[in-house]
Amino acid sequence: MAYNVLIVDDSAVMRALIRKVLVISGFDIGQCFEGANGVEALGILENNWVDIILSDLHMPQMDGATLVKEIKNNEVWRHIPVVLITTEARPEVINPFMEMGVKDYIQKPFRPETIKQKLTGILGEGIGADAGEIESCDF
Amino acid sequence: MLAKLKAATFEVLETMFFLFPEGLEEDELVPAQGPFICTWVSISGPQPLRLGMIAPQSLARKMAANFLGTQEEAVHKPEIEDVLKETTNMTAGSFLSKLEASSAFHLQTPHARWLTPEEEKQKRPANRLRFDVDGELLELFVERDT
Repeated sequence: MAYNVLIVDDSAVMRALIRKVLVISGFDIGQCFEGANGVEALGILENNWVDIILSDLHMPQMDGATLVKEIKNNEVWRHIPVVLITTEARPEVINPFMEMGVKDYIQKPFRPETIKQKLTGILGEGIGADAGEIESCDF
Repeated sequence: MLAKLKAATFEVLETMFFLFPEGLEEDELVPAQGPFICTWVSISGPQPLRLGMIAPQSLARKMAANFLGTQEEAVHKPEIEDVLKETTNMTAGSFLSKLEASSAFHLQTPHARWLTPEEEKQKRPANRLRFDVDGELLELFVERDT
Protein backbone atom coordinates (compact mmCIF):
# COMPACT_ATOMS: atom_id res chain seq x y z
CA MET A 1 0.00 0.00 0.00
CA ALA A 2 1.38 3.38 -0.96
CA TYR A 3 1.00 6.19 1.55
CA ASN A 4 0.35 9.79 0.62
CA VAL A 5 2.52 12.13 2.66
CA LEU A 6 2.12 15.85 3.33
CA ILE A 7 5.29 17.74 4.30
CA VAL A 8 4.71 21.19 5.81
CA ASP A 9 7.75 23.40 6.31
CA ASP A 10 8.53 26.97 5.30
CA SER A 11 12.03 25.93 4.25
CA ALA A 12 12.09 24.55 0.71
CA VAL A 13 15.44 22.88 1.34
CA MET A 14 14.11 21.13 4.44
CA ARG A 15 11.07 19.89 2.51
CA ALA A 16 13.41 18.56 -0.18
CA LEU A 17 15.56 16.84 2.43
CA ILE A 18 12.59 15.19 4.17
CA ARG A 19 11.24 14.01 0.83
CA LYS A 20 14.63 12.49 0.00
CA VAL A 21 14.87 10.80 3.39
CA LEU A 22 11.41 9.30 2.93
CA VAL A 23 12.44 7.84 -0.40
CA ILE A 24 15.67 6.30 0.86
CA SER A 25 13.90 4.99 3.94
CA GLY A 26 12.16 2.54 1.67
CA PHE A 27 8.55 3.37 2.44
CA ASP A 28 6.00 2.87 -0.23
CA ILE A 29 5.31 6.53 -0.87
CA GLY A 30 2.41 7.39 -3.10
CA GLN A 31 2.03 11.10 -3.61
CA CYS A 32 4.26 13.47 -1.66
CA PHE A 33 2.59 16.85 -1.17
CA GLU A 34 4.39 19.94 0.09
CA GLY A 35 3.12 23.05 1.84
CA ALA A 36 5.10 26.05 3.01
CA ASN A 37 2.72 26.85 5.89
CA GLY A 38 -0.52 25.82 7.54
CA VAL A 39 -2.70 27.62 5.02
CA GLU A 40 -1.15 25.73 2.12
CA ALA A 41 -1.40 22.49 4.08
CA LEU A 42 -5.14 22.95 4.66
CA GLY A 43 -5.61 23.65 0.96
CA ILE A 44 -3.88 20.40 0.11
CA LEU A 45 -5.97 18.49 2.65
CA GLU A 46 -9.17 19.94 1.14
CA ASN A 47 -8.38 18.46 -2.24
CA ASN A 48 -6.32 15.34 -1.63
CA TRP A 49 -6.20 12.15 0.36
CA VAL A 50 -3.32 12.29 2.86
CA ASP A 51 -2.21 9.41 5.10
CA ILE A 52 0.34 11.18 7.28
CA ILE A 53 1.44 14.76 7.91
CA LEU A 54 4.99 15.81 8.78
CA SER A 55 4.93 19.40 9.98
CA ASP A 56 7.27 22.09 11.22
CA LEU A 57 6.16 24.35 14.07
CA HIS A 58 7.37 27.82 13.17
CA MET A 59 5.96 28.98 9.86
CA PRO A 60 4.62 32.27 8.52
CA GLN A 61 0.90 32.83 7.82
CA MET A 62 -0.23 29.80 9.81
CA ASP A 63 2.07 28.03 12.26
CA GLY A 64 2.11 24.41 13.31
CA ALA A 65 0.00 24.97 16.42
CA THR A 66 -2.88 26.48 14.47
CA LEU A 67 -2.58 23.84 11.78
CA VAL A 68 -2.80 21.03 14.33
CA LYS A 69 -5.87 22.68 15.91
CA GLU A 70 -7.56 22.94 12.52
CA ILE A 71 -6.81 19.31 11.74
CA LYS A 72 -7.99 18.01 15.10
CA ASN A 73 -11.21 20.03 14.86
CA ASN A 74 -12.10 18.53 11.48
CA GLU A 75 -14.11 15.32 11.46
CA VAL A 76 -12.42 14.03 8.31
CA TRP A 77 -8.83 14.98 9.07
CA ARG A 78 -8.65 14.43 12.81
CA HIS A 79 -7.52 10.81 12.42
CA ILE A 80 -4.61 11.61 10.11
CA PRO A 81 -1.43 11.10 12.14
CA VAL A 82 0.62 14.28 12.56
CA VAL A 83 4.34 14.12 13.29
CA LEU A 84 6.16 17.32 14.20
CA ILE A 85 9.60 17.88 12.73
CA THR A 86 11.04 20.68 14.78
CA THR A 87 14.17 22.34 16.05
CA GLU A 88 12.54 22.88 19.43
CA ALA A 89 11.89 19.62 21.24
CA ARG A 90 11.92 20.86 24.81
CA PRO A 91 9.08 19.26 26.81
CA GLU A 92 7.48 22.66 27.46
CA VAL A 93 7.19 23.12 23.71
CA ILE A 94 6.24 19.59 22.69
CA ASN A 95 3.92 18.46 25.48
CA PRO A 96 1.02 20.77 24.59
CA PHE A 97 1.07 19.34 21.06
CA MET A 98 1.07 15.77 22.33
CA GLU A 99 -1.96 16.66 24.45
CA MET A 100 -3.64 18.02 21.32
CA GLY A 101 -3.27 14.62 19.69
CA VAL A 102 -0.03 14.91 17.74
CA LYS A 103 1.27 11.40 17.20
CA ASP A 104 5.00 11.97 17.66
CA TYR A 105 7.85 14.39 17.01
CA ILE A 106 11.28 14.33 15.40
CA GLN A 107 13.91 16.82 16.46
CA LYS A 108 16.13 18.50 13.91
CA PRO A 109 18.89 17.58 13.33
CA PHE A 110 17.71 14.07 12.58
CA ARG A 111 19.17 10.95 11.08
CA PRO A 112 17.28 9.19 8.27
CA GLU A 113 16.78 6.12 10.43
CA THR A 114 14.95 8.23 12.99
CA ILE A 115 12.29 9.13 10.44
CA LYS A 116 12.20 5.52 9.31
CA GLN A 117 11.63 4.27 12.86
CA LYS A 118 8.93 6.81 13.64
CA LEU A 119 6.97 6.18 10.46
CA THR A 120 7.35 2.43 10.82
CA GLY A 121 5.76 2.65 14.24
CA ILE A 122 2.95 4.93 13.14
CA LEU A 123 2.05 3.43 9.78
CA GLY A 124 2.87 -0.09 10.85
CA GLU A 125 4.84 -0.85 7.74
CA GLY A 126 8.19 -2.60 7.46
CA ILE A 127 11.11 -1.33 5.49
CA GLY A 128 11.17 -1.95 1.79
CA ALA A 129 13.39 -4.80 0.69
CA ASP A 130 15.57 -2.52 -1.38
CA ALA A 131 16.01 0.12 1.28
CA GLY A 132 19.49 -1.11 2.14
CA GLU A 133 21.61 0.35 4.85
CA ILE A 134 20.36 3.83 5.57
CA GLU A 135 23.64 4.77 7.29
CA SER A 136 25.49 4.33 4.03
CA CYS A 137 23.10 6.32 1.88
CA ASP A 138 24.60 9.44 0.38
CA PHE A 139 21.91 12.08 0.54
CA MET B 1 27.53 28.73 27.21
CA LEU B 2 30.14 28.36 24.44
CA ALA B 3 30.66 24.70 25.37
CA LYS B 4 26.94 24.08 24.72
CA LEU B 5 27.15 25.96 21.44
CA LYS B 6 30.16 23.88 20.43
CA ALA B 7 28.30 20.64 21.21
CA ALA B 8 25.26 21.86 19.27
CA THR B 9 27.46 22.76 16.27
CA PHE B 10 29.09 19.33 16.24
CA GLU B 11 25.71 17.64 16.46
CA VAL B 12 24.19 19.55 13.55
CA LEU B 13 27.20 19.35 11.22
CA GLU B 14 27.81 15.68 11.83
CA THR B 15 24.18 14.62 11.64
CA MET B 16 22.95 16.69 8.71
CA PHE B 17 26.09 17.30 6.67
CA PHE B 18 28.46 14.42 7.42
CA LEU B 19 31.06 17.07 8.21
CA PHE B 20 33.36 16.69 11.18
CA PRO B 21 34.58 20.08 12.41
CA GLU B 22 37.67 20.61 14.50
CA GLY B 23 37.70 23.35 17.09
CA LEU B 24 40.30 26.07 16.54
CA GLU B 25 42.08 28.25 19.04
CA GLU B 26 41.78 31.99 18.57
CA ASP B 27 45.27 32.29 17.10
CA GLU B 28 45.04 29.31 14.72
CA LEU B 29 44.73 30.36 11.12
CA VAL B 30 42.65 28.72 8.44
CA PRO B 31 42.52 30.22 4.98
CA ALA B 32 39.13 31.77 4.21
CA GLN B 33 38.37 33.57 0.98
CA GLY B 34 35.26 35.70 0.61
CA PRO B 35 32.58 36.48 -0.07
CA PHE B 36 31.14 35.22 3.18
CA ILE B 37 27.61 34.43 4.22
CA CYS B 38 26.41 35.41 7.67
CA THR B 39 23.21 33.81 8.95
CA TRP B 40 21.64 34.45 12.31
CA VAL B 41 18.55 33.80 14.35
CA SER B 42 17.22 35.83 17.24
CA ILE B 43 16.16 34.01 20.39
CA SER B 44 13.49 35.95 22.22
CA GLY B 45 13.08 35.55 25.95
CA PRO B 46 14.13 37.00 29.29
CA GLN B 47 17.65 37.54 27.91
CA PRO B 48 17.30 38.02 24.16
CA LEU B 49 20.14 36.40 22.26
CA ARG B 50 21.32 36.24 18.69
CA LEU B 51 23.06 33.13 17.42
CA GLY B 52 24.77 33.11 14.08
CA MET B 53 27.39 31.66 11.82
CA ILE B 54 29.78 33.00 9.21
CA ALA B 55 31.13 30.83 6.41
CA PRO B 56 33.03 31.48 3.20
CA GLN B 57 30.95 30.90 0.10
CA SER B 58 32.97 27.84 -0.88
CA LEU B 59 32.26 26.08 2.44
CA ALA B 60 28.63 27.21 2.42
CA ARG B 61 28.22 25.76 -1.07
CA LYS B 62 29.75 22.47 0.06
CA MET B 63 27.41 22.36 3.06
CA ALA B 64 24.38 23.04 0.88
CA ALA B 65 25.40 20.31 -1.57
CA ASN B 66 25.89 17.79 1.26
CA PHE B 67 22.55 18.74 2.79
CA LEU B 68 20.64 18.40 -0.46
CA GLY B 69 22.57 15.37 -1.69
CA THR B 70 23.58 17.05 -4.91
CA GLN B 71 26.65 18.31 -6.72
CA GLU B 72 28.20 21.62 -5.68
CA GLU B 73 27.79 22.92 -9.22
CA ALA B 74 24.03 22.47 -8.90
CA VAL B 75 23.78 24.66 -5.81
CA HIS B 76 23.04 28.36 -6.20
CA LYS B 77 22.80 31.34 -3.88
CA PRO B 78 19.15 30.88 -2.82
CA GLU B 79 19.78 27.26 -1.81
CA ILE B 80 22.97 28.22 0.01
CA GLU B 81 21.10 30.90 1.93
CA ASP B 82 18.22 28.53 2.78
CA VAL B 83 20.52 25.74 3.94
CA LEU B 84 22.69 28.03 6.07
CA LYS B 85 19.59 29.63 7.62
CA GLU B 86 18.19 26.20 8.41
CA THR B 87 21.56 25.14 9.84
CA THR B 88 21.60 28.17 12.12
CA ASN B 89 18.03 27.44 13.16
CA MET B 90 18.84 23.83 14.00
CA THR B 91 21.98 24.82 15.88
CA ALA B 92 20.00 27.33 17.92
CA GLY B 93 17.33 24.72 18.71
CA SER B 94 19.95 22.20 19.77
CA PHE B 95 21.72 24.92 21.79
CA LEU B 96 18.51 25.74 23.67
CA SER B 97 17.88 22.05 24.35
CA LYS B 98 21.38 21.64 25.75
CA LEU B 99 20.95 24.72 27.89
CA GLU B 100 17.63 23.28 29.11
CA ALA B 101 16.27 26.73 28.48
CA SER B 102 12.76 27.46 29.68
CA SER B 103 9.75 27.73 27.42
CA ALA B 104 10.11 31.50 27.65
CA PHE B 105 12.80 31.32 24.95
CA HIS B 106 11.63 31.19 21.35
CA LEU B 107 13.43 31.02 18.05
CA GLN B 108 12.59 33.73 15.55
CA THR B 109 12.88 33.62 11.76
CA PRO B 110 16.49 33.19 10.59
CA HIS B 111 18.15 35.75 8.33
CA ALA B 112 21.04 35.72 5.86
CA ARG B 113 23.37 38.40 4.57
CA TRP B 114 26.39 38.22 2.29
CA LEU B 115 29.54 39.92 3.55
CA THR B 116 32.56 41.19 1.68
CA PRO B 117 35.96 40.15 3.12
CA GLU B 118 36.26 43.65 4.62
CA GLU B 119 32.88 43.39 6.32
CA GLU B 120 33.78 39.93 7.62
CA LYS B 121 37.00 41.27 9.15
CA GLN B 122 35.05 43.96 10.97
CA LYS B 123 32.62 41.46 12.43
CA ARG B 124 34.43 39.97 15.40
CA PRO B 125 31.84 39.00 18.04
CA ALA B 126 33.25 38.51 21.54
CA ASN B 127 31.59 35.15 22.12
CA ARG B 128 32.58 33.19 19.06
CA LEU B 129 33.80 29.73 18.20
CA ARG B 130 36.04 28.91 15.28
CA PHE B 131 36.07 25.59 13.49
CA ASP B 132 38.14 24.00 10.76
CA VAL B 133 35.63 22.31 8.48
CA ASP B 134 37.30 20.43 5.65
CA GLY B 135 40.18 22.95 5.68
CA GLU B 136 37.89 26.00 5.72
CA LEU B 137 36.90 28.38 8.47
CA LEU B 138 33.43 28.30 10.05
CA GLU B 139 32.63 30.77 12.81
CA LEU B 140 29.74 30.56 15.27
CA PHE B 141 28.76 33.35 17.60
CA VAL B 142 26.24 34.07 20.30
CA GLU B 143 25.60 37.57 21.53
CA ARG B 144 23.07 39.72 23.31
CA ASP B 145 20.31 40.79 20.93
CA THR B 146 19.85 44.47 21.51
